[in-house]
Amino acid sequence: MRLRRMVTMAVALAVALAACGGGAAEETDPISIGIIADLTGPFTTYGTSLDRSARLAINEVNEDGGIDGRQVEVITEDIQTDVAATVDKARQLVESDEVDLVMGPIGSDANDAAAQAVVEDNGALLFYTETYEGGKCLPTYFSFGAVPAQQIRPFIPVLQEEFGPRVLLFGADYVWPRRSFEIAKPIIEENGGEVVGEIYLPLVAEDFTELVSAVRDTQPDYMFSLYPAAFAPALQALDDAGLLEGLGQGNIFVGDPDLPGVIDLAQGMYTTLPYFTAIDTPEATEFLEAFQAEFGEDAIPSGGEGVGAYVAVHLYRQAVEQAGTTEAEAVAEAMVGQTFDGPTGTVEVMPSHHLKQTIHMVRAEGDGYVLVDSFADQDPEEDCEL
Amino acid sequence: MATEQPILTPGADAPPRRGLRLQSRRVVELVGLGLLVVAPVVLGDSFAIDRLGRYLLLAAFAMTVDVVWGYGGMFTFGHAAFFGGAAYVVAILTTQQNGVLPLPLWPAVAIGVVAAAALAWAIGAFTFSGRFALRGVEFAVVTLAVSFLLERLMNAGGSVTGGQNGILFDVRLEIGPLDLQRRLPFYMLAAVILVAAYFGLRRFVTARTGLVNLGIREDEDRVALLGYRVPAVKRGVLVLSAALAGFVGSLYYVHEGIVSPAAVGVDASTLVLLWVVLGGRGTLIGPVVGAVLLNMLTASLSGMLLGTWLVVVGVVLVAVILFFPSGLFGFLSGPEGRR
Repeated sequence: MRLRRMVTMAVALAVALAACGGGAAEETDPISIGIIADLTGPFTTYGTSLDRSARLAINEVNEDGGIDGRQVEVITEDIQTDVAATVDKARQLVESDEVDLVMGPIGSDANDAAAQAVVEDNGALLFYTETYEGGKCLPTYFSFGAVPAQQIRPFIPVLQEEFGPRVLLFGADYVWPRRSFEIAKPIIEENGGEVVGEIYLPLVAEDFTELVSAVRDTQPDYMFSLYPAAFAPALQALDDAGLLEGLGQGNIFVGDPDLPGVIDLAQGMYTTLPYFTAIDTPEATEFLEAFQAEFGEDAIPSGGEGVGAYVAVHLYRQAVEQAGTTEAEAVAEAMVGQTFDGPTGTVEVMPSHHLKQTIHMVRAEGDGYVLVDSFADQDPEEDCEL
Repeated sequence: MATEQPILTPGADAPPRRGLRLQSRRVVELVGLGLLVVAPVVLGDSFAIDRLGRYLLLAAFAMTVDVVWGYGGMFTFGHAAFFGGAAYVVAILTTQQNGVLPLPLWPAVAIGVVAAAALAWAIGAFTFSGRFALRGVEFAVVTLAVSFLLERLMNAGGSVTGGQNGILFDVRLEIGPLDLQRRLPFYMLAAVILVAAYFGLRRFVTARTGLVNLGIREDEDRVALLGYRVPAVKRGVLVLSAALAGFVGSLYYVHEGIVSPAAVGVDASTLVLLWVVLGGRGTLIGPVVGAVLLNMLTASLSGMLLGTWLVVVGVVLVAVILFFPSGLFGFLSGPEGRR
């Protein structure tokens, strides 16, 4: 009898100790962030930029005392520009490494896959930092890139002013261009513009005759493009046909790292994205200097995804400190309304889990971009109720 | 070309005596089975077991390629068309919201398997007989083209195929109340399928049609001269392989939760050839080991050696091909006989 009581007490004591131990550990254990980035394959440029920007921010946070005194660890997994690898690595990070936050990936397809694996299957936090088509609406999912409405709404009036009202929409045949153009069309009409043609070619087309004849037949004032994978050959085809001269150009995807590939064919082209190296605010200059000090003189953060990851880490820190926990739902709740002054300007996390942010507009001149204008507080216009 | 020259000759080294080979295969089989049983005990209901379950399905896929390529000498460069194609059929049938759709999982899988088999039949009808009667590299080019075209088609399929983003599955792997979607239950499902497929295919390759298939690899014209209907046998083998690949692929992608154009594409079709070559062509068990090993290697290295892991994997592959030209288990290949 006595023995049993002693055993019971011992067990109770052990349980209590274990519970205390667990609690205490939670407050001092490092917070871990998992990054799923395309470090090999076609998206290497963007994946590398994503990983670097996130790590830069994490280093800053750690040097500044961590998040609520807890250091931040980071695990990067290479998802190889591959959906299957994305699912695998996302699950590994959440289920095996048990990270507190997953950041990435790059492609829209990988984004769908990662959202399912991280958010829907596991209820964990996923921060997507790439410019994308918008429309994702999940409880522990946040987007830090630009979405079409905020890039397009302030942009169209400028393009019309500069080139004229008649526009040809030219996109790759998948969801990002299609949804972007659906959003662009009413905006063009509101501004008194006219869509003279809308053309979608395969992601990497070999034959641009359709584009060439569309430009020849419709004689647009400017071409509005979202053709990320093979933009240079498309412009080359137009140039070979003698149609590029005098054709205005606007796009929402050619960031700094991609510009050298098209610059000869894109003089005078306008682009809107959340970040360019041409931004000269103190925050942006400081960011670029820190980035190049860490990763080399030639390292260029890419248009959206890279810098989005940097901003996202800082917002995460604020949200965790406010929530007092890394528990996904609590952090998600605390995320909404957070603001941060970073290299892209002031950002605010909206209830739709997308960012209200500054969109910058540049023009290609010589061998680089020149900053033309910045549009503060652009609403993502995502109607996502959570 | 008059005679079929295997691209990589299995058993190019002097094959050991048949009895010895049979014995060593038994040993490998027993060890393999043992590992399948031990794995869940060691790994428990974890992410690792989930991942291993996935590799087992990929291993089964590799076997379907081995039957066609390793045993039949038909160099298929587009097997992902069956593996991922069936998964696409399942995805479309279980998610689209019109008419009789969405179907439940298993009827959709059945239709997916039939679709994969039908595609294989059509390829066979077009290439093995009649004016074309393609062999060797020509057949490889046709299968490659099918895989390539299918990838393009899925990309361009708009709302039906979900374009580049593919389709997220609404269904889970379940049989009645039994949830087999993740981890230990999924592993069990995959292990059962792999073992059943292995012994089924083992039986097939040693049975009459299987031996004719093997004969065709060695000398297609002579087999035809003996009175066998070579095109029919080749087509039959391809259809069987495609159906099994389709079945395994359907389950694989339902477990993934998403199927996208890469699933049917050239990269996936090429990757499976690597597993087969690594493990040993014409051995069935070799491709299983090749698939599991190479995937484990890739998964662990890609996390540990960021940036350089591809080089390491490449070096390992080259080393294996240099030192084991017929694959890790190439010594098990050679003429089959009735047990």
